[in-house]
Parts: sequence; C-alpha cells; structure tokens
Amino acid sequence: MKIRIILRVLVCIAFISQGLKAQIKQVTIKGTVIDEGTKQPIPAVSLLTGTPSKAIGFSDGKGHFSVAIPAGTTVVFRYVGYQPYRLKVSADQLNLNVRLKELNQNMDEVVIRGYVARSKEVTTGASFSIKGEELKDIPVANIEALLQGKVPGLNIQNNTGAPGFRGTTQLRGLATLNVSNTGSETFLQPTSPLYVIDGIPIDADKASEMGYDLQGPGISPLSLIPQEDVENIEVLRDAQATALYGARAAYGVIIITTKRGHSEIPRVRYTNNFFVSTPPALRTTLGGNKERALKLAQIYGNALSFADIMEISRTPLLSDSLNSYFNNSTNWQAVFYRTTYNQTHNLAIDGGNQKFNYKANVGYFANKGILKNTGFSRYTLNMNAELRPNDRFRFTTFLSGGVGKQQKGDGLGFLQQGVAKSAQASSLLPGPSFYQSSGGVVSALETINDNATRNLRTSIDAEYSFLPGFKIMSTVNYTFSSDIEDTFTPAAANNQFSQVYGFNGRSNSLYNRNMLNYSATFNEKHSIYVSVANDINEQRGQNSAIRQVRTPNDQFQGPLGFDVLNSRGGGVLSYNRGRLASFWAAGSYDYMRKYILDLAYRIDGTSSSGLNDPFSKNPSIGLRWNFNKENWMSDIDWLNSGSIRVSWGKNITPTGSLASIYGKYNTGGSYNNQPSIGLDFGSIPNPNLKPKTKEMYNLGVDLNLFRGKIDLNFDAYFSEIKNELFSRNLSNTLGFGSFPSNETGMVNYGYEMYFAIRPLSDKSPFKLNLSFNGAWNNNILTRLPEGFNGQNIAFSGDASGQHTIFRVGRNTLSNYLLVNQGVFSVDGDVPVDPVTGLRYRTEGNFYRAGDPRIKDVNGDYIMDRNDYQITGNSQPLLTGGMSASLSYKGLGINIYASYTAKRTILNNALANRLGIMNDPFGRSDAGPKAVVSLPDVNMWRKPGDVAKYPYAYDYNRYSTIQPFRNDQTLWEEDGTYLKINNMTLFYSFPKKIVQRLGVNNLRFQMSVSNVITFSGYSGPNPESVTALGRDLSGGYPNSRDYIFGFNLDL
Amino acid sequence: MSWVLNNERLEKMNFNLNNNRIVFLLLFISPLAGCKKIFEVPAEKEYISNKISYSSKLFEPVLGRTALMGTFSADNSTQPLTFSIANARYGDGRPMTDLFKPKEVWVWTGAYDGKEKSLEEINSKRRKEVHPLFEVRSSGQFILWSSATDDLVAARKADSTNLIQDRRFFDVKVSNSGGEVIIKDMELKFWRERPYEPSTDLNPFTGKVAPHPGDPRNPNKRDYIRPSRLSNIIGKNTRKALVTDDNTKDVVVYIRPFSGGNGHSLRFKFLNKDSVAMNPALFNETKWDLLVHGFNRKSTAEYVQYDVAYPIPLINISTPYANSGKANVNFVYSRIGFGGARETGTLGLDFSIYREGDWEIVFHFRNDNPKFEDE
Repeated sequence: MKIRIILRVLVCIAFISQGLKAQIKQVTIKGTVIDEGTKQPIPAVSLLTGTPSKAIGFSDGKGHFSVAIPAGTTVVFRYVGYQPYRLKVSADQLNLNVRLKELNQNMDEVVIRGYVARSKEVTTGASFSIKGEELKDIPVANIEALLQGKVPGLNIQNNTGAPGFRGTTQLRGLATLNVSNTGSETFLQPTSPLYVIDGIPIDADKASEMGYDLQGPGISPLSLIPQEDVENIEVLRDAQATALYGARAAYGVIIITTKRGHSEIPRVRYTNNFFVSTPPALRTTLGGNKERALKLAQIYGNALSFADIMEISRTPLLSDSLNSYFNNSTNWQAVFYRTTYNQTHNLAIDGGNQKFNYKANVGYFANKGILKNTGFSRYTLNMNAELRPNDRFRFTTFLSGGVGKQQKGDGLGFLQQGVAKSAQASSLLPGPSFYQSSGGVVSALETINDNATRNLRTSIDAEYSFLPGFKIMSTVNYTFSSDIEDTFTPAAANNQFSQVYGFNGRSNSLYNRNMLNYSATFNEKHSIYVSVANDINEQRGQNSAIRQVRTPNDQFQGPLGFDVLNSRGGGVLSYNRGRLASFWAAGSYDYMRKYILDLAYRIDGTSSSGLNDPFSKNPSIGLRWNFNKENWMSDIDWLNSGSIRVSWGKNITPTGSLASIYGKYNTGGSYNNQPSIGLDFGSIPNPNLKPKTKEMYNLGVDLNLFRGKIDLNFDAYFSEIKNELFSRNLSNTLGFGSFPSNETGMVNYGYEMYFAIRPLSDKSPFKLNLSFNGAWNNNILTRLPEGFNGQNIAFSGDASGQHTIFRVGRNTLSNYLLVNQGVFSVDGDVPVDPVTGLRYRTEGNFYRAGDPRIKDVNGDYIMDRNDYQITGNSQPLLTGGMSASLSYKGLGINIYASYTAKRTILNNALANRLGIMNDPFGRSDAGPKAVVSLPDVNMWRKPGDVAKYPYAYDYNRYSTIQPFRNDQTLWEEDGTYLKINNMTLFYSFPKKIVQRLGVNNLRFQMSVSNVITFSGYSGPNPESVTALGRDLSGGYPNSRDYIFGFNLDL
Repeated sequence: MSWVLNNERLEKMNFNLNNNRIVFLLLFISPLAGCKKIFEVPAEKEYISNKISYSSKLFEPVLGRTALMGTFSADNSTQPLTFSIANARYGDGRPMTDLFKPKEVWVWTGAYDGKEKSLEEINSKRRKEVHPLFEVRSSGQFILWSSATDDLVAARKADSTNLIQDRRFFDVKVSNSGGEVIIKDMELKFWRERPYEPSTDLNPFTGKVAPHPGDPRNPNKRDYIRPSRLSNIIGKNTRKALVTDDNTKDVVVYIRPFSGGNGHSLRFKFLNKDSVAMNPALFNETKWDLLVHGFNRKSTAEYVQYDVAYPIPLINISTPYANSGKANVNFVYSRIGFGGARETGTLGLDFSIYREGDWEIVFHFRNDNPKFEDE
C-alpha cells in the first residue's frame, strides 16, 4: 500500500517537472517597486532567483525595474529593511507594481558577520539590529545614548549630562573588576563593546580610559559620528557572532553601517533640529533670613556650651544681619545652571546606481551645557563612494573627518566638583558682581577651557571575484586623532596667580585585513562558505602635558616659557604602542537553509600579551536549526519562522601594557652627581601575561508568528571571563611593589528577551508597533589569586570609607559598609556592654538618641572597622526597555522607555544634602554653606521618634559619631527606575502636497527627551550614578531637552 | 497582494498550542537555568583570613576584677566569628578546668550614668547571671569575670617562679562558614586578688604587706597607700604643711573591710596621730552628698557611712563621683590662715574597690594632726 502511494507521488513529481520544463519561456517583467507605507519608489531593490539566490537585476532610482527571466521562476524582491516579496512569474504578468512592506520580522535581514554580509536566516550567533530611523529624532552628542533600552542585553546608563561625554556601556554584564580612584569617585574601568564603523574598528573607551583623572578632552570617537548618517546598528552579543572580530571582541561588538548612495537621481536630505536644554530640578535651599534663622535655631538648640552661644556674636554672618554684605538671598545654583538653546544641521547628498554610488554627509551639532562655561560642538564630514564596474569587482572608499570642540569649565566633565562646592555656598553671601566674586565662581565661570578632538578615518575596501565562488577582499584603513586641551585659569580663581595647562595627545591606528572567501552550493541543498583571512593593526599614541603657574597676567595667556625652577612641570603622560595580528579561518555549512553549522578558528597575537606566548587560540562553533522549514511543522500556519541557535566560542581583549610585560625604566636619583636611569620597581614584569579571555555559551530561540505580527527572540547565555588583569601587591621584602597577574575570573549568565507585536490589522490606517525587551544578568566572581582565600577589598583611600569588596561566589562588585538599622529612638535603645556597663560607642563617643543605629556585628559594643559587612550589588540585574509607536497616515508618535532594576545605589547625594547642616558657623575651609529644608526627610527630631535618618541639626555630632557617614547602608537604596527616554510627535506631509513644492519629503517633529523617571529612589536621579552605583553630588546632571526639528528631502 | 495577512484566516487560526511543542522549547531553555551548577560556579562562603591574630598572646589580669582582654585583629574576616576556647591546659599537658566553673556575676543591662537616685535604681540596670569565670565572646575579647577569686583560681606563685607545669595555656578556635582557624598557645598569668586600688600597701605576689620601696629588704618597714591629693593642710604642732611622698608619709590610707555593715556599705574614717577617730565634720567644706554615689548617708562623730553599689566605681565613665576609672573623694575644710586669708585644705583619694562587702577607707594622720582652727 505504502509503496504504491510513494510510487504515485514520484510519478506525479516526474510529470510536474516535465510540465515545468515544457513551460520554459523567456518573459520580460517590468514594473515599479514602492514602499507600501510611504508609497515612495524604492531604488536599488535586488531581484533574485535561484538557490543560492543570484541577483538578476536592481530597481533604478525611481524604483523601476526590467528583467528578462524564464516564466515560472520565482523572483524575490529584496531590500534591506523590507520584507522580501516573492513572485512567481507567469507569462502574462508583464507590468507589475510591487509593494514592499517594511520589515517587522528580521529573519530575512542581511547582517554583517565577520565583515561579510550574510542572510540573518543562516547565522548562528546572537545579534540584534536597530535601524537608523529609530535614532534620528533626538539630537545627541553620542549616538550610544539613544541605544539605551533598545537592545536586550546592552546596558547603557546615560549617567552624565556633560555634553560630548559618554555614559557607561556594558554588553551582557560586568566584564572587569578593575576599579581605580577612591571613595565616591571610585571608577570602574570601562568595558565598552568594540565599535566597528563601516568595517573600521574604533576604541570607544579611548577618552575615558583614565577614569575621573581625565587627561585632555573627554570626547569619545563615537561622539564624532552624526546620527543622521547611520543606516543601521547591529549589536553582536555572543561569541560566535563576534568570533571574527577576535582580538578585541571580548566585550561584544557593535557594528555601525553608515548610509550609502541608492538613488540614481541625487537625493539631498536636510535635517534641522532646534532644542532647548533645561536643567533638572535643583536642590531646594533656604534663602536669606530663613537660612539665618535655621542656623541660629540649630545652634541654640544644640549648643554644648556657652562658648557656642558666644560664637554667634563672633560670626557676623549670623549676628550682623543688617550688614549689606551678609544681608542677601543669593540663589547660587542659578549662578551656575542655565537653560540653553541649541541647534543641529545635517546635510546629506547621495546618489548613484549599481556601478557607482556615492554619499556625502555634512553635519553640525552644538550643545551648550546646562552648566555655564561647558558645552560641546561637532563638525563632521562623512563620505563614501562605491565603484562596481562589473559583478566581479567592487571598490569602496570611506572618508570621514570630525572636529569636536568642548568646554569643561573648571571641572573634568563627569565631575564638576568646583561647581558643586560653590553652588552650596550660603545664600547670605552676596552673589557675584562686578566688584566682587568668590574664587569658586571665577574658577567655574571664567576658566577658559578649550578642548578639541580632531578625528580622521579613511578606508579603502576592495573586492575581486577571480573565479566563480572565490572572492578576495582587502581593506586598509588609517585613523588619526588629535586631542588638545588648553586651560587658562585667571588669577582671581587661583589665589591671585593665573595658571595654564596644556595637553596634547595624538594617536593613530593602521589596520589591514585580507580575506579569501569561497562559497558554493551543491545540489541546491548543500551550501558551504569558507574563508581564510588575516588582519593586522598597529596603534600608537602619546599624550603630553604642560602646566605653568604664576603666569604674568590674565591677558597674556601664552605662549609661555619658564625655566626649570619655576615650571610646574610637564612631559609625556602616557605613551602606548600596540600591535595586533590575527589569522583566522571560518567555515559555514547549511543544508537547505535548515541546518546550519558555523565554525571559526582564529589565532590572535597582541603585543600586550606576554612575550612568551603572545598568541591565543580562539575557536568558536555555532549551530542553527530553522525548524519551521521541517515538513512536520508545515501545518502550523501561525508560525512564520522559528529557529534555535546554539553557540560556543572564545574571544579575547588585550588588557596588559608594554610596561606590564617588559617592565619599565625610570629616571631615578643621581649617582655621582649624574642623573641616573634605573628599573622602575613599581611593578614586576610578567612575560606570561595573557589577554582577557571570554568564553561564551549561547542558546537562542527566534520566533516569528502570525505573519510577522509577533516577533519573539529569547537568548540564554553563560559567559566566563578568565585571565582578568589583576595587580597583586607583593610582599615588601621582594623589591617590586606589585605583580600583574591573570588570576581572576568571573562569570555572567542570564537571559534576554525581545518581544514585538503589531496588534492592528494591516488594513487599518492606524499602525501600532509595541516592543518590549529585557535582560536579566547575573554576575559572579569565580576566582581571585591564590592566597586571597576568596576575598579582596579595594579600600577607598578617602574619608568616605565606601569600600568595594570582591568575594568569590558572589556578585563581583559589592559594597563593604556598616549596617545601619535605623536611628536610636531614645537613649535607652543604645545597647550596653554587659561586661563593662558602657554604652555602645565609636572612637570613645557614646551613641545616644538621634544617632544612627549601626549594627555591632562582632559584639564588642564598639563600632569600628570590624563591623563592616559585605552588602549590595552595584550592577543591575535587570535592564531593558520598551517602545510604542502609533501612526495614522503621516502623523505619528513614538515613545521609548528604558528601565533598570535590582541594583544598589549609594545615595551620597542625600548624605551630602543632610550633612550640609554640619557647620552653622561656616568655620570650615569651604566657607559658610547653604542650608536645606528637610521637612520631607524622615528624620529623628525628638526622643521617641522612630525615623530612618539620624538627627541632622546637632552640628556637634558630626565631628564625633558622624551621623551621616558615607560608609553605612543607610545610603544603600534600590536603584530601580523606569525612564521615558523620549517622546516624538511627527508629521510627514502627504507626497502630493510637498511634491508641488518641489520637495520629495517633508517631515516635522517635536520631541521631548529625558521626559520623566519613575523611581522609588530618594536621590536626584537613579541613573546619574557611577558605574559602581555611587550617586555623586558633584556629577553633571542630565538635562531635559525639548526638540523641534524637520527633515527635508529634495 | 497575496502575502497580505488575511484577517479572517487569522481569526480561524488554530490556536492549539500543542503541549509537546512547549515542552520541546522548555527543554532547551531549562539547562541554562541550572547553569550555575553545570558550569561549577563556586558558591559564596564567608571569608576567614589565615592572618587573624591577637596583638598579644599573654594576658596578666588581676583576679577578682572583671577584665575584658585581647585585641583581636580579624584581618577583614567576615564577622561575626565564632570563638571558642579549646585545649585549656597547663604547660605539662594537664587539663585546666578551674577557670571554667560557672558562678554568678553582675552583668549590665542598662546604662549606668551616675544619676540614679537609689540603690534599687542602680541594681535595676544590672542583674546576676551565671557565667564561667573565664570566657570569650563573639568579638574575640576574653572576659575574666570578677567572680574569679583567689580561692577558685590559683594565681601566679608567691615566690615568683614561673615553672612550665604552672603555666596556663589555651587555644582559641575561630570559625565562620568559610572555615576555621586555631590560634594556639595563648597564655594566662594571673595576679592574685587585690580587692582595691591603689594597692601600694600590698605585695602583688604574696598578697601580704608590701615592703618599703626605699628599703625593700627590711621586714620592719612597709609601704602604705598615700592620698592622691594633700594640699594646704597644716600640722597642728609642726605648723608646716603636711607632706606625702616616698620618704615622708604624714597621711596614709587604709582600705579595709569592717564588720557590722549591711554587706554593701562604704565608710570614711579619719584617725589622728594617736589613732583616735576624728570627727569627719571637721572637714567642714566637704560636699558629703556628692562624695560617692551612695545613699542613706550616716554621719557620726567617728565616720561617715553610705550604702553603695559595688564595685566602686561601677563603670568607667565620668560622673560627679568618678573619673578615669576611679572614684574621687575630696575632704575639704577651710580656716583663716596667716595674714587673715582663708586657706582651703584638701585631702583626696582616687580609689576603686572591686570586692563587694563592707569597706572602710581610713585616713590616718600619722605624724601630726591637721590644724582646723583659724590663726
């Protein structure tokens, strides 16, 4: 029976194929391809046939196409960002109107893998794409800021509002335990993904590698890319996807593709944005007489002795209220903060056809900071041209240049400690005027700080197919960057001596990549792709600086020269030179695009790996199963596509420096009156130093359901970081101070989810897209060097005492703090030592009602360093975002939100706000300070109060038991927040109307960015915290921007 | 267009989410959930340093006084740590058990501040508990309770020998969930009980009378307690200020128990050079109510007596009665001196008494009586 059926089927197939053969007849199909939404013609749409698909033609600038093909074949119309359209050609279909629909399922997307474009359907790695469209409405200095909440697994915190600076970026969790600086300014080494812009890898962390001790301008190369020029951004998340970017890809890879020329008729696009930046709500302070009254009440209520009362009459600020010098109500914050009006312009011209296309983009962006005397402006020119004289040869050039100018005032960009301090001045003091001004004001407002970063990226890309299936590709690129900072501090800002600081940094990078590819398909079922390649990269950089003090006067700002005696010094701050060389082979096999296997193996040599073995071997493997193509799935009509991906791979990122491998010579003292040069005993060289290695497992599921109405991606991953650089202190008997070891490691594991839905019918004039994404990441420290027994504490060197602790088996970055358990309500609540009868105390001071109840962990009834406990996790567990866009014809609204949850923030801002009451007399060096109104604070005020915060008004307690000491868990708060990043309302004029004006497209938009943050956090902004979760009161706040803009296409 | 979604069809679409398919998806997801185990991620454990130590391994407390000893350096080990005394032994290996007998002692439960109005109020802030004579608490501090007295615990030898079989050793086991460290060979070397301070009249080795510091081998001479303050007290006969120093001891102090008290009383007495009791009222400017933190003052012609709480002082804080761990008493009188100026004579003592009982503090004017009369 069965055999009979099979035979019948076979016979049928044989007849059908004969029938097909009989029908073969060349027909010429003609027509236009238009966008279904905008009804705009789409140029350069590929028309493909066969398996593997082969291009048989393209649409022209007006979307027209004309090809001759055998009737009965299926033609696929394919264009990036659109759903491909399949059409079976019949002899009578000669004039066609093909409407392409924008892509909502990203299965058929073309992605870049290992510098080669491939269909997303046959890639085994985890990646996520964002279209440039989503990034155009909100003008930002750094395009990264707009990726926040859009990519699952990419944790971006826009934690500084300083124009031109970057926030922090982490892909799939923490990748370092390198912390530097101290206290609340403890800085986590940035571990940004590798950015590859049009095939050119760039180092986004370049400007921030020094931490808060920023040298030179803090302009990241990323800040010099105009957002209008971005076509597509792709984030590669797992080790298989990043396998071929090897030598620096351990933190993930983000590929930015800029726009190309598409249209035969040159297109001119102009974008203008005008935006208003407003400072956030500032600290509420009491002004004038209220301040004086509060300070007096504070003293009368809490004076320990009559001498304190007497001190009032010796403090004219408090007692001489009729003196016009002390009779003011100055809003100091208003002296420093402002609302600014800014604009951006971008002009892009592109054009071309299959054989030659070009693009030029000129951009101007300016953002004056909401802190006076700060700002960022950018001038960019990006060009590319592609020549494709025939199908076998392609030649592309890229040229982009950018100039970023920046003013940091007297701060460091991230940190504006000078302003933070000056803005806390007492409101009783007279504001700055022509006749008098405090040093802090002059310093913040009159310091002339000019930074410029000039960046040039050039690239040549050639591709030649010398035999069918074989392709040779070569890329050479050169980038150059120059960073200059000039700071002139006027005399009044620096104890009557003006000073200058000059910084000069240069860096360049030369990169070359050569690839040989072979791809072929056998029996229309088996496709293979093989490539061998190598790349070389050489980087050099040198930074130098000079500082001179006591320059002649404020008018003469240079050039200056000093003799050795009077010069404050200068010289080379840092020098780096590094080489990377990699060789790799990659292979890919797929069976009917159903089962896909990817293999890659690369050998990476870096000059910052130990000289004994500078090469590391990094294999990777990926498997994919497109299960919707299985026959037994074919009956499920709600499943459009579905696949499962599994991958494993290794990547590295060099972490060492030349000095850590080879050691360093340094000028020493003099020997026989001759200056000597000897070994630097700071760190002993380690010739076996290894680069940081990341090994990752990934399991992913992609589903596209109900004809593209629902898109669901799920990824689970486990990654292990090994050989993290860790500077181990050596015993003081060994001569050298420390040893760069590789003995630390950590793991990250988690889940990522992306869900998108278009609930409305396709026929509805309304279009609604909703998306939601989230990433849960767990981070665990797995290894510390032998001898540490699983724990190491990075003690903060400053008075804050906010230490960072690393403990194996726990989240890598934990706080080491005193445990606050509330406030002693009455004196009787203070525990008494049963042995000595003494009350609980610290440094000889007994606690009493109104003081913080700090847990006496070890039970000695003394609060001291034995009572520190490991607590908190400064890294968020959950990050993600959501978006909604609704449009009706040309009118629409987009809303983007992002969230971060389950992270510990240290609210140092509140500690600072409460602690400002410590000195009613204004005796400290900082001078008299403002007072804040505290009615909203749950503070102990009288015996019996059960409160959260200790009593702030007793100024005598600050020097004894330090109620607001920073190193207590009182400041640990949950930093969960949901932020509406931006909202845009846009209107595209109907084609008919604008075409009468000779315009192709005209779109107006109005947006608000940084709209609102929902959070239970009691500080100013749960996002404006450092990577270690510390809310710096001296940080640069984020502005809220109101944007009006239009796009004009000619 | 053929590929535009047919809504009607969507509605009719079979939503039968086959259980098998869900299971099949979950099968792929679930391994990652347990990846902590699969990938052998180490579990967190508390940290215990192998460099934990005490700043000193030898403790020499005085018996009969509550002593809190030991400066423990945790080297950032995770607190709280569990401490236990192990292997308590004499130098020759015999187990040492006398130290761990339980006995009742006063422990504080409230904060004594010197403002209590009655003995009951003071005692409401402490209670009796049973503790071993010697123990260690979670901070690593060792407690020698005042209940460890000469009769229960042998102090060091009166002949000052320190033979190995007499030496007391013990080990301390320190642990948390991260592990255990043993600090070995801690040593205790007790001084015998001296129930009061100053105790310059006692030989700390023997508990007998202390020899004279200037002539230590002379059995006929001895050392005394001297008053802490002696000023402007003029001898009746010599008409010179009375002196107390190593050579001349015009006034000495005896701190001794007396019988007939209620078990917690303190008495002040003054003896003249004939060892006859003087009337305390002669010290006419003495603030008798603020002299000690005592109650029910009884003033007689021979003594002044209070009901007090022992030990004196109760705790080491500054109160009107005590400072720097000693009770302070001052007996003051004034008289018109030469030239008609009023002179104030002061006799004072800073002392402490550790053993509960009936104690008297006797000031003995040995060589000359003080002159209380005006010139």
